[in-house]
Parts: sequence; structure tokens; C-alpha cells
Amino acid sequence: MTTAISLVRENTETMQPPRALWVSFPLGRPLGKPGDAGFQHRVIAASLDLLTRQAGPVLVDYPEDAPTVDIKTAPACPVSFSKPATDTDTWKAALLNELQTLTPWYDLGRRRRKGRTLVGISNFSMTENLEKLGQLLDDEILPVSELNWFKRAIEDAKVFYLEALTAQPGDYNQEQLQKILWNDTAIGAAILKFNDMFLANTELSSFARIIAPRNVAPRNVPTRTTNKD
Amino acid sequence: MVRLRDLPDYERKHLLSKNLPPLGPPAWTPLTKSLSELRIALITTAGLHFRDDPAFEFADSTFRPISGNEDANDLVMSHSSVNFDKTGFSEDVNLVFPIDRFRELEAEHKIGSLADVHYSFMGAGLNPEAYEASASQVAGLLKQDKVDAVFLTPV
Repeated sequence: MTTAISLVRENTETMQPPRALWVSFPLGRPLGKPGDAGFQHRVIAASLDLLTRQAGPVLVDYPEDAPTVDIKTAPACPVSFSKPATDTDTWKAALLNELQTLTPWYDLGRRRRKGRTLVGISNFSMTENLEKLGQLLDDEILPVSELNWFKRAIEDAKVFYLEALTAQPGDYNQEQLQKILWNDTAIGAAILKFNDMFLANTELSSFARIIAPRNVAPRNVPTRTTNKD
Repeated sequence: MVRLRDLPDYERKHLLSKNLPPLGPPAWTPLTKSLSELRIALITTAGLHFRDDPAFEFADSTFRPISGNEDANDLVMSHSSVNFDKTGFSEDVNLVFPIDRFRELEAEHKIGSLADVHYSFMGAGLNPEAYEASASQVAGLLKQDKVDAVFLTPV
């Protein structure tokens, strides 16, 4: 027998699994709130209670919303992305400059999380990945023969940035973090530049949808020197 | 708080395109013992695996075992989607894979026991039918482990 958490009620309504608890939490957060054992236990208890039902399918709405975080009370961004410390005329230089700025914060966050990090699914270091991503943009080349590596390198980079930005303890506003990532950072601009290049490629245009949310693309990316200039 | 109506139009349409009919005749297993006697396994479609395991591909119907003996804090997520952020999961593995919460329930005798092995799939890119063979394989493994009930989490 199964009991499931449902994040998209409409999908669960049509598929009719035996027992499901719909929660109003954001995608990516089926238990609602990180670090809150009491909150998570309440969700689990409601889900396990469905096992006692005698007939189904059962789809029950969980009554509690995940708490929202006011942007005014969220910890401040520890890094300023507005004034690069060094020459960042190329994508490669801009990305490596950000890596240098963010690494102490990433390390701090990783220590706070007792070594836990999600970075590493690409099996290459952040330096290797960002050098290669920057070089591809400087040469205006799409990594058509290495799409698996490319997607994982992008995922690693996004997680690295977000773990650095959330190095200090506290409840963060997700919308604010996403705005910083996509609007303020060189990696955000770099991914959106790749996004534009994929969209312009008829065979790979669908790939654009899985690297950047459509509500932030396209963005006016900074003009950088490329090797084709 | 996020409901479908709160999402951007393109995202709402994308998620509604995943409305599918039931996979087959209704499946229903009644509870035959108390919750405090159940042996429970966790299964997630969040694309979780240990760092040394192969990452999931873009569309991938395979699964990864998650042994109860290993440290769940070492789990990573190779689910590829721009529709959610991973900061919550970075902070707390239990947000997606609530293994510590279930260990607490086991210690408090609110459930009987936890399975020796839990499982993760990667739920993007394929229709449910594509998972039939691997899901059947996992069902066999769960029976072998004498699991009574499964707690399922999406991402």
C-alpha cells in the first residue's frame, strides 16, 4: 500500500493514486519547510493517516501552508555583484572572478551545513566547469556533443551560487534569491546567453527550456569581448 | 504558498499537460494491521542518489537504491528542472527525503520499522508507462524486504 504527497493537485485528481495528500507547498519542497521537524512531522502524520482509510482513491487537502519569508527579514546578500574586482572583459574572466568572490561563502555555508552540499553531479570542479562554460561563450559555441556535461555543470553552478548566497543561517526568500541569481550574477547572464544560443538553434531549441525559466529569459546580457570580435 | 493559479501561465500549462488518466484499474490495499506495526519504505521521484552513483540522464526510467545504513546527508539531486530551486534541499535532506523524521517515528514506536533500502526515481521527461519495468522490479524488492507501506514524495 502507498500514501503519496501531491504537489500538483490537478495531476493527482486525474491519475487517481490510492491515497494522496495534496500540499500547497512550492515545487521542490514536498515536506514544506527545511529544518522544521515539527512541521515535517505534521505533514507525515496527515499522510500516514490516509493508510487507515477503508476505501479510495483518497485525495485530501493538507490545511497548513508553508510559511512565507518577508524579504525585509531575510538575511542580506553577502556579496556585491555590481563592481567586479578584476578585469572581466571575457565571459571566462567574469565567471572565474565570481567564483573567487563566492568560494569563501560557499565554504562557510558548507561548514555550517556540516559538510553537506549538492555540488558535484558533473564530476568536475567548479573552476573546470566555469572555465569551460566561459570559453564556450567567448568562442560562441554550443556544447552540442556534451549536453549531459553541460546540463550538470549548469546545475552544479546554480547550486554552488545558491549555497554561497545562503551561507549564513536564517530563513531566505526564494524569490529574492532567484532574482539575484538571474538578474545580478555573471553566471545568470551566462546561462541566459546560452539560452539565447539554444533558442536560435532549430535542432536544440527545446533544450533552452530546461536551463532557464521562461519568465526570466531573455535578459539583456552584458556585452563582452568574444574571440570572434 | 504556491498553488497552480499562482504560477506563470506557461508553467501552469506545462504542469496541466501532465494530467493523465489512471494507469489501470483502481488499486486498493486495505490496512490489515496498526500503523505501529507497519514496515515502511520511502520512495521519491526527486532524482536522488549518492555522489558516487551514476547521475540520472535527462529522461531516465531507472532507479537508485538508498540504503538505510548510509548517511542521507550525502545524497545529491540530479533531477533537472528549472521549476524549483534546491536551496531548501541543500539545507535539509528531510525536506524531500524525510528519513530522519521516519527514524524518529520508528524510535517512538509510532511505526513498526523502516525498510533496509529506500528508492529514488527521476520523475521528469517520461510518461508513467516508461517506469513500469523498473517499478515492478522495486515492488519485488520491497516485498523481499517485507515492506507493508510506501511513503511517496515528488519534488
